[in-house]
Amino acid sequence: MARLLAKEKLGALIRGAMDKKYRVVGPAREHGIVLFGELSDPAALCLDELNTQNSVKEFFFPKTEPILKYALGKHDVALADDFAAPRTVLIGGRACDARSLVALDRLFGWDYKDKFYFARREATCVITLACDRFDEACFCTSLGFGPRAPEGSDVLLVPVEGDAYLVEVVTDKGGALVAELADIFTEGTPGAEKVAYPEKKFELAAIKPWLERNFEHPFWNEEFLACLGCGTCTYQCPACYCFDIVDEGDIHGGQRCKNWDSCQLALFTRHTSGHNPRPTQASRWRQRLSHKFAYYPGKFGYEACVGCGRCIRNCPVGLSILDKLVLIGREAAAAPAEPAGAQP
Amino acid sequence: MARDNIYLPYLMKVDGVRDETRDVRTLRLKFARDEDAAGFSFKAGQFGEYSVFGAGECTFCIANSPTRAGYIECTFRKAGRVTKALRDLEVGDTMGFRGPYGNVFPLESWYGKSVLFIAGGIALPPMRCVIWNCLDLRDKFKDITVIYGARTVGDLVYKDELREWGERPDMKLIQTVDPGGETPDWRGQIGFVPTVLEKAAPPSADTIAVVCGPPIMLKFTFPVLDRLGFARTDVYTTMENRMKCGLGKCGRCNVGAIYICKEGPVFTAEQVARMPAEY
Ligand SMILES: Cc1cc2nc3c(=O)[nH]c(=O)nc-3n(C[C@H](O)[C@H](O)[C@H](O)COP(=O)(O)OP(=O)(O)OC[C@H]3O[C@@H](n4cnc5c(N)ncnc54)[C@H](O)[C@@H]3O)c2cc1C
Ligand code: SF4
Ligand code: FES
Repeated sequence: MARLLAKEKLGALIRGAMDKKYRVVGPAREHGIVLFGELSDPAALCLDELNTQNSVKEFFFPKTEPILKYALGKHDVALADDFAAPRTVLIGGRACDARSLVALDRLFGWDYKDKFYFARREATCVITLACDRFDEACFCTSLGFGPRAPEGSDVLLVPVEGDAYLVEVVTDKGGALVAELADIFTEGTPGAEKVAYPEKKFELAAIKPWLERNFEHPFWNEEFLACLGCGTCTYQCPACYCFDIVDEGDIHGGQRCKNWDSCQLALFTRHTSGHNPRPTQASRWRQRLSHKFAYYPGKFGYEACVGCGRCIRNCPVGLSILDKLVLIGREAAAAPAEPAGAQP
Repeated sequence: MARDNIYLPYLMKVDGVRDETRDVRTLRLKFARDEDAAGFSFKAGQFGEYSVFGAGECTFCIANSPTRAGYIECTFRKAGRVTKALRDLEVGDTMGFRGPYGNVFPLESWYGKSVLFIAGGIALPPMRCVIWNCLDLRDKFKDITVIYGARTVGDLVYKDELREWGERPDMKLIQTVDPGGETPDWRGQIGFVPTVLEKAAPPSADTIAVVCGPPIMLKFTFPVLDRLGFARTDVYTTMENRMKCGLGKCGRCNVGAIYICKEGPVFTAEQVARMPAEY
């Protein structure tokens, strides 16, 4: 016997959470686009699209958030940083979305702990939907996980035959929520799983060593000439986290904010002297790829990419990180690294 | 307010203002709250995020020596939004400071050796902290030499301290300005720092070199030090990549896999040589 949720009961699940005073965040159609947002009505939940346009990260690490408030006196300043994260149920994300949270946990938690991020993490119960379809931009399986991976989720709903979800409780937090809403679930024998696995497209193990060997390589200039440096790819990315710190206010006071920033923007690294260590768009793409597939895994053991494909679907000039990873995979296979010790 | 917010600065009072040049100023800051002062310590080489509420934050090294505790000094050039707002502050005004961040110059491992400081332009502040630190522990070191250059005589910072260093019998100061930057009464050298260094040819035996300056100066100074016989592991510098958080989070300051705000800003020339050309 297993715990099941009838598909038609998704709305009841959301209603139940709302009745228990949770804020519920899920995909909903807005001006024709499906976006994650706070649901005011269970009927607004929209699962038509494979992936939402925005990622879930903004519910943990908002586009802009005050990190302190200041009130200005003649010579004095008063500071405040009161903050409370709303109890939230985040429903309708995919395994890739959930995995991005595990990647972000590493960054915001190492050494100095970002209390704003973790307050939201702790207050949020993540209910993930395993995928019953994929498109050509999806590549979770190439990254060593897949559409029903539990990592980062508190509850995983796996579609099964018979218009139902198999309910997998992943964490204690998820278990507590399921217990709170127990009457919505049923016990039964699940039908066959309807999970769709995209085919594996490159050899992940080859990427990091290639990047580490080829900081200088014609590849960088040749492949990224078309990039406009608009930053769309990084803003849409669930695992990108670069930010700026900016004050906004008036003569009486205001707030200091942590705002999303992007390594694809030309001014990102420019020194005050005008010198820019990453002067070309090619060097910024090299940073993006290397950071996601070499620096971040080297430091935290996780790729800062989850294969969701948002950057690919939304790039205005059609650049695809997946295509580039496939190319790197081929290059690596054609020119394998010298065995250790053979290098000069 | 609990100090669990990693972005929360200490409130500081401007305690002194000194103009170094036309556009470079030093501020002396004291903690607005005694309990903050009591819990604070730093070491030579570290930096912080200095802020004016309403204008924002910017990154400077801590320019005073940890041997002179109880206050923080920063020396900065007016460049943009925050540095302009910092210049508008007067004694008694309140501002913010987060820090100290980053690694340190391993001073203890230099005990018993000579130290050669080489600085260009506005890069004297990060070095001033170490110079005073060494001078305040003078008997721990053999010879102390400072080579300092700026574009013009007017651009030399810490003029009072330069005079004091020039007069001290227990150290040697060589000052230089770029050709054309001299005044009629200039008694120092004329020439670029690397050239002056090569001519002065300080001995490399048992000597640590500390080099701070713009990337171009470093590029020409390291080879001279190589020729003078300095081991690259005995040559130290600080790197100043654009920073925002100082906490290893905002993703801005890395050179390859190395996050300068966490693993730096102090590196040896040997470490710098192994970095990808992205600084
Ligand atoms: C570890 C470290 C230590 C440092 N130590 C020191 C130090 O001791 N002393 C020191 O002086 N500096 C130091 N710096 C450099 C210092 O951080 C910068 O000079 C400072 O952050 C500039 O801040 P700002 O807000 O005034 O400049 P910003 O407003 O950010 O301006 C920076 C540059 O951008 C230009 N700019 C500004 N607005 C615009 C615009 N709208 N459009 C186009 N261009 C614009 C400005 O002209 C300027 O050249 C250090 C940096 C690091 C990383
Ligand atoms: S979305 Fe496309 S054009 Fe825009 S920065 Fe990313 S790769 Fe470049
Ligand atoms: S300054 Fe933010 S990561 Fe280094």
